Amino acid sequence: MKRYDLIVVGAGPSGLSAAIEAAKRGLRTVVFDENEKPGGQLFKQIHKFFGSREHRAKIRGYVIGQQLLEEADSLGVEVRLNATVIGLYQDKEVVVKLADEVVHCKGDAIIIATGAAENMVTFEGWTLPGVIGAGAAQTMMNLHGIKPGQRVLMLGSGNVGLVVSFQLLQCGCEVVALVDAAPKIGGYGVHAAKIARTGVPFYLSHTIVRAEGDDCVTGVTIAKVDEHFQFIPGTEKKFEVDTICLAVGLSPMSQLLKMAGCKMEDNPRRGGQVPICDAYGRTSLAGVFVAGDVSGIEEASSAMIEGRMAGIAACEYLGFMEKEELAAQLASQERALDGLRQGMFAPQNRGRAVAETEEGIAVSASLLRHGYISDDEIERFPGITHRAGVHPVMECTQNIPCNPCQDACPKGCISIGANITSLPVVVESAECMNCGMCVASCSGQAIFLVEEDCGDDTATVTLPYEFLPLPAAGTKGDALGRSGQRVCEAEVVGVRSAKAFDKTNLLTIKVPKEYAMKARFFRSMHN
Amino acid sequence: MESRIVEHPILGEIENGRTVTFTCDGRELTGYEGEPIAAALKAAGLMVHRYTQKEHKPRGVFCAIGRCTDCVMVVDGKANVRTCVTPLKEGMVVQTQYGVGVEPFDRREEGENA
Repeated sequence: MKRYDLIVVGAGPSGLSAAIEAAKRGLRTVVFDENEKPGGQLFKQIHKFFGSREHRAKIRGYVIGQQLLEEADSLGVEVRLNATVIGLYQDKEVVVKLADEVVHCKGDAIIIATGAAENMVTFEGWTLPGVIGAGAAQTMMNLHGIKPGQRVLMLGSGNVGLVVSFQLLQCGCEVVALVDAAPKIGGYGVHAAKIARTGVPFYLSHTIVRAEGDDCVTGVTIAKVDEHFQFIPGTEKKFEVDTICLAVGLSPMSQLLKMAGCKMEDNPRRGGQVPICDAYGRTSLAGVFVAGDVSGIEEASSAMIEGRMAGIAACEYLGFMEKEELAAQLASQERALDGLRQGMFAPQNRGRAVAETEEGIAVSASLLRHGYISDDEIERFPGITHRAGVHPVMECTQNIPCNPCQDACPKGCISIGANITSLPVVVESAECMNCGMCVASCSGQAIFLVEEDCGDDTATVTLPYEFLPLPAAGTKGDALGRSGQRVCEAEVVGVRSAKAFDKTNLLTIKVPKEYAMKARFFRSMHN
Repeated sequence: MESRIVEHPILGEIENGRTVTFTCDGRELTGYEGEPIAAALKAAGLMVHRYTQKEHKPRGVFCAIGRCTDCVMVVDGKANVRTCVTPLKEGMVVQTQYGVGVEPFDRREEGENA
C-alpha cells in the first residue's frame, strides 16, 4: 500500500491550495481528482473575481486556476487525474479507482475538498433533453467551446445564474429571460445589472410551470407565484427556447466524510449535509480535514483560503510545524477570510432583508426586483457625481467585499477606504485622466467614464464591453439604458483594448448630452 | 444551427484537437479528438442520447460533468458510457441507448423485457 503524509481529495481551488501549503512545509502530498483536468470549476470561470488584491481580485478564474497549478507543480505536489476516490476508511485508508484499477493508499492526514454538486428542481418536462444545469452550460461553453443552446431561459438569480447568463451572452447565445421564484435577486446587483443593460428581462416571483417539447425542449412556460410560491393562474408566459438552464443552488458532496464516520449535521445555512468542523477544517476524526464547498457552500475565493488553512492545520497535526507558528499562520489566513465574509452578502446575512447600505443609503429596490437601478434611484449613491470633463461614475450600490477600483486609478480619483465593503466614492480633489483603468478593473462592470458636456450638446460615455464582434469607431447604433431599453442614438467614437485591461474592451460612445447619465450599453445597428 | 464557438471574447480562438470521424447510429460524423463525445454530438445537433428503460422517455446531457449519468450511450458496444466525460476517438461507434441496449423499443418482440 502506498503511503503519503497527506492525501487531498479534489484538485479544485481549496484542494490545490491545501496541497500547496502542505508541500511548502515538506509534506509528501498527493491530490486525487476524478476529472480529466485539474482546477475544479476554476477553468470554467472566465469572469474577473471580486475581493482585494490578496484575494486575487480582478483576475479571471481560469487564470487563478493556472497560477494554482503552477504553484502546486513547482512544489512537487503529485496530482493524479482520472482518479476517483471511492472509499475513505478507518485509519485514513483511501481507496481510489485509477482507470480500471482499484488502488489502496494511506495518508497520515487527509483533506477532503470534494466541492459541491448542483441542485435541481422538478417541473413538468424537466427530464427533457435541453434542460441542463447551469454548471453544464459553463462546462460546454467555456471548456469545450460548444454553445449550450441558441435561445436559453435561466432559472435562478443567485450569482451562478447571473454569471452563467452573462457567459451565455458572451458566447453568442440569446438569453430570453432570467427567472426566479424569490421576490428578490439573490446574487450581486452588479452581476444582474450587466445582464439587464443588454436587454435581458428579469422575472422575479416567477418560476417554471413546464418545459414543452416531445423529444427535446422547444419552449417553456413560466408563471407568477404568490408569497407561498403557488402559481397565480392567468399569469403564464410562454417562451420559445431550446435550452432551460437551472441555477438553483449547490449541495456539498460530503459522502466520503459520512462514509468515514465523521460527525455530520444537516445545516441548511451551509447547503445541506456537512461535516461538523472547526474554523480550520478539523473534523471529528483526528487527521481528517475539510476545505471548500464540501463544508459549506461559499465561493472560490474563500475556498482557497479555507484550503490553505486546512493545509496548515494538517502540517501542525503531523508535527511539521510548532503550535506557535500554527497560531500565527492561521491568524493571517483568518483575517483574509474575514475580509471576504463581510457586507450584505456575507454568510451571516444570508436570507436577511437589507434596507440600507452601511452608509445609511436606501438600497435600490429596482435593482433587486428588475436587475437594474432606476433613473430616479441612481443619484443617491456616492459613486455618482457630476463635474466638468471626463470623470468616473461608479454604479456600485451594494456593500460587497471588493476594492480593486481604488488601486486602479493612478490619480487617486476613487476611494473605498479601510473598510473593503464600503461603496466607492469620488475624490473631488483628484483629476481624472481618462485612462480607463477603473472601468477595466471593476469585476462588476459597474464603472463608466462620462463626459457630460462635450461642448456641442453631446456627451461621451465609456463603458466596459466583453462581447464579439467588437464595434469599430464610427459604428452607429442605439444606446441602451440600465434597463436594456433603447434610450437614444449613439455612435462609437473610441475603442480601447489594452493588455492591462485584461480582455475588457472600452467602448466610448457619443450621445446627446441629456442621456449622459442614462446611456449604459451600446447595440450596433447590425444586431 | 451552429453550436461551435469559433472565437470567444475572453477565451480567444478555441483550440481544437485533430478532426476525427466517428459514427452515431450509423451516421458518419466528425468531431475533435479528445473532446467529450457529448460535445461532438451537440455540435452535430443531436439532443437525445438515450430512452429510459421503463417509460421510454428521452434523455440528454444534463450535468456535463459525469455525475448525473443522464447522457449515457452505447459506445463501441459498451452500454452506460458517460458521453460527457468520455473523450472522442477516431472510429468510435456511438449508439442511442434504449434501456440498456441498442435495439429501439418499437422493434423489440412482444413480451421481451430487455
